[in-house]
Amino acid sequence: MDDSSEKDKEYFLYFLNNHAKKFPNIFILGDLFDWWPGDDTYQFKKIISGLKKLSKKSKLFFICGNRDYLIGKKFAKETKITLLSDHELIQLGNESAIILHGDTLCTDDKNYQRFRQFSRAWISKKGYLLFPKFLKDYIFKLVRKKSNNDKSFKVESIMDVNEDSVKKLFKKYNYPSIMIHGHTHRPKVHRYKFNGINSERWVLSDWYKSGSFLSWKNGKLKNIKI
Amino acid sequence: MSIVTLKTNHGSIQIELNKEAAPITVKNFENYVNKDFFNGTIFHRVIDGFMIQGGGFTKDMSQKQTDAPIKNEANNGLKNEKYSIAMARTSIPDSATSQFFINVNDNNFLDYPGQDGAGYCVFGKVIKGQDVVDKIAKVPTGTSGMHQDVPNEMVIIEETSV
Repeated sequence: MDDSSEKDKEYFLYFLNNHAKKFPNIFILGDLFDWWPGDDTYQFKKIISGLKKLSKKSKLFFICGNRDYLIGKKFAKETKITLLSDHELIQLGNESAIILHGDTLCTDDKNYQRFRQFSRAWISKKGYLLFPKFLKDYIFKLVRKKSNNDKSFKVESIMDVNEDSVKKLFKKYNYPSIMIHGHTHRPKVHRYKFNGINSERWVLSDWYKSGSFLSWKNGKLKNIKI
Repeated sequence: MSIVTLKTNHGSIQIELNKEAAPITVKNFENYVNKDFFNGTIFHRVIDGFMIQGGGFTKDMSQKQTDAPIKNEANNGLKNEKYSIAMARTSIPDSATSQFFINVNDNNFLDYPGQDGAGYCVFGKVIKGQDVVDKIAKVPTGTSGMHQDVPNEMVIIEETSV
């Protein structure tokens, strides 16, 4: 969501107040924000309050995406969110599930993976966050201006995951029955069989455009309309 | 259904246009064909496994002046399947003018509502010359100025006819 869009923010708050509060644990798998400029931002105050309010009823967890990887400890403290690492193994009832944003699986996009490694390095993040506020605001305005004024007729594709990378990740966590990620905007359930074990990879849709979220209830995963 | 032939330096591609599903888009495309707009333009962006895009640049990589943009008719049920033809646009939904692309894969993420809520409007399909499309998709590409994925040796639309 973009801070300039009241509609985006109201929609997310509607989700928090009408759906999320019914669940004991909420996992946000990244790219909640179109761009997170750093925790000292003046933006998204209503969202931070909304998340803090929800944290009194539900436990909140966050995995950063490629657009909001600068989310840090101050945000976590304000919202009472627990920041998770890129890949986490969680329990859904009797099932184990790996959850992640999904960009780490797009290993065919070598340029992006190189950028990711550089930008997530402690020194790069720290360096950017040490920029004075006026410079960070300026960079943010440039990013937003570029996305609003994109006059290029390029037909773009967000690369899909690399299946070998998917299999390697399943193997690393000893073949849990579920993997959940977003990022690629290709919502689907993919089925695998590893050494006789059935596993599923659930790809989330864009929460805003599709107007849905994934829930775990009564031992099953289900997409629910917001 | 009307049929347009693109004669390229790699062979001919015959495209069946779906006037019923995309009337504004087909009329727009036919207008450009009828005034020979595409003659001498190139496929300036070619990505194997994804799509080949053309209809906007001349051989010296300058962008041609187009007519006014048209309404996005992406919500017409047609899919960005392999060998379908669709309109390119900017991030503004109703911004398509002359540039089009031919899908060389099933690119469902481009179907309405797509990744940005607007999708890309499919308005026809290649009925003859799929092998030519495949050949174009595999040409070696590089960077030309600000543009990436530009064929090293030009893929030219020499002539078009309805």
